[in-house]
Amino acid sequence: MIEITGLCKAFAGRRGIGEVQAIQDLSLTVHDHEFLTILGPSGCGKTTLLRALAGLVDWDEGEISIDGKPVRGPGPERSMVFQNFALLPWATVLNNVAFGLELRGVGKKEREEKAAHLIQTVGLSGFEKRLPGELSGGMQQRVGLARALAVEPEVLLMDEPFGALDEQTRRLLQEELLRIWEANRITVIFITHSMEEAVLLGDRVVLMSARPGKIQEIVPVPLARPRSADVDRVSQSEEFVAITSHLWTRLRDMQHELQHRGVEAVAS
Amino acid sequence: MKAVAVPRLSHPGRPRRLPLGSASLAPTVLALVVGAVLWELVGRLGFPFFPPLSAVLARLAEMIGKGMIIDPLVTSLGNLAIGFAISVVFGVAIGLLMGVYHRVHAALDIYVNALLTAPSLVFAPIFFSIWGLDRQSIIAVIVMYTIFVIIINTAAAVETVPASLIEMGRSYNASDWQLFRKVILPAATPLTMAAIRVGAGAAVKGMVNGEMFIAVVGLGAVVTAAGRRFDATSVLAVLIVMIVVAFVLIKAVQLVDARLTSWLPPTSRTG
Repeated sequence: MIEITGLCKAFAGRRGIGEVQAIQDLSLTVHDHEFLTILGPSGCGKTTLLRALAGLVDWDEGEISIDGKPVRGPGPERSMVFQNFALLPWATVLNNVAFGLELRGVGKKEREEKAAHLIQTVGLSGFEKRLPGELSGGMQQRVGLARALAVEPEVLLMDEPFGALDEQTRRLLQEELLRIWEANRITVIFITHSMEEAVLLGDRVVLMSARPGKIQEIVPVPLARPRSADVDRVSQSEEFVAITSHLWTRLRDMQHELQHRGVEAVAS
Repeated sequence: MKAVAVPRLSHPGRPRRLPLGSASLAPTVLALVVGAVLWELVGRLGFPFFPPLSAVLARLAEMIGKGMIIDPLVTSLGNLAIGFAISVVFGVAIGLLMGVYHRVHAALDIYVNALLTAPSLVFAPIFFSIWGLDRQSIIAVIVMYTIFVIIINTAAAVETVPASLIEMGRSYNASDWQLFRKVILPAATPLTMAAIRVGAGAAVKGMVNGEMFIAVVGLGAVVTAAGRRFDATSVLAVLIVMIVVAFVLIKAVQLVDARLTSWLPPTSRTG
C-alpha cells in the first residue's frame, strides 16, 4: 500500500520570483494490486507527483510511504516507464531491457534470460539485437515497459507512457498493457491526459486540477475485468461513456475556472 | 535528365590508391586533384617563393633520399605521441571531472578558458628555462597546444548527456559510479572523440612550433634551416610531410571513434 499524506511541492519561478505551487496538500492511498490512473490538465503537478513517488525529486512537506516505509529516494520495489522512453541508444534491445538487472549486479546469463523472456512478453521477439534507433516509437516503449518489468517491481510508475505515440500505436499498447497487467496485477500508477485511456486502464481515476495541483475527485471505474479480452466492447459500453463524459465535464469546468481566475489576476 | 548518381563512386578495375577507401572518398580525391593542379599552375607563374607542386615533390623525394626527412620525422613523431597521449589522458580526465562536478567546473573553467585563448608559445621560454633543449620542452608545448581544447570539449560532451537518461539511471537505483560508467560515459563518447580529433590537429601544430622555436630538432629544425636559406621548396616539402602526419593522426582517431560509436545513426555522426 502506498500512502501519500499532505504532500506539498513548490517550484521557484523564473528569476526566483513567482513561486509555482506544483502540488498542494495532496493525500492519496493506493492499494496493492490496484491500477490507478491520474488524469489532469498540463501543469497540474501529476508528473511531479509521480517523480516524487519514484524518489527522483524532493518535496517540501508531507510524507510518502510504501508498505509503511517512508520514501527517501529511488528503491528496488519501484520502477518507472518514461514518456520519452529514455532508452540507451548504444545498447541493444536485450541490453536495454536487462539494464535495471545489470545495475543490480545480476549475472549476465541470468539477466539476459530474464530480459529475453520479457521481450517475448511485450511482443518484440526477434528484435533482441536491434538498437533503439532502429525501432518505431511504439516498439521503443515496449522496450521501456519490458525494462521496467524486468526488475520485478511491486509498483510500476508510468509517466504518460503512450503520450508520444500516434493513436493506433497507442491503442495497441493500451491493450497490450491491460493484457500484461491482468496477468500479473502489480500496483500501477499511470499518468495520462487522455480521459479514455484513464478509464479504460484504471480501477480508479484520480482527477487533478492545476495551479495549485490538487486532487479534485477520485472516480471509481467499476468496469469488469479482464478488459483486455474485448477492449472495443468495454470502450463502447454505457458505463465507460458515462464516466468519460463525467470526467470531461469536470475538466471543462476546471479550465473555465482557470481562465476566469486568469482574467481576474490580470484585471487586479 | 537522369538522376544524379549517389555516393558509391567506385572505380571498377582500377586499384584503389588510398587504403582508407570508403564510398565518401571520391569528393576528397577530387578536391585534392583540383588543389594539386591549382598549386602547379600558380607555381609555374613564377612568383619568387611559390614553387610548383612538382618541384616541391621532387625536392621531397630528394630530401628523403638524403635521409633528411625520416630521422627527424621519427624524432618528431616520438614527441608528438608522448605529448598527444598526455593530453588525451589528462584532458579527457579533467574534462569528465568538470562535466560531472559543477564545483570542479566552476573552479577550473576560468583557467582552462584563459589558457585555451592564450597563445601557447608564450610558455615556450618558461619550458626552455626548465628543460632547456631537451624533448620535455617540446612535449610540454605540444600539451599546451592540445590539452585545453580537449578539456573544454570533453566537459561540454558530458553536459550534453540527456537529463532523461540520467534520471532513468537514477530511477533504477544506479550508484554514482554506475551512472557515470554505464550512462554518462557512453553517452558522452561521440563528442569526446570529436574533442580528441580536434586535439590531434592542435598537437601536430604544437609539435612543429615547439621544434621551430625551442629546441631546434626534428622536422622543425629542417624547416627552420630551409627558411634561413629562403628555400621555399624545402619548406613546402616538409609542410607536406606535416600535413600527412596530421591527416594520418586524425584518421586514426576517427577509426577509434567509429568503433566506439558505431551505434550512432549515420546522419548524426560528426566529421
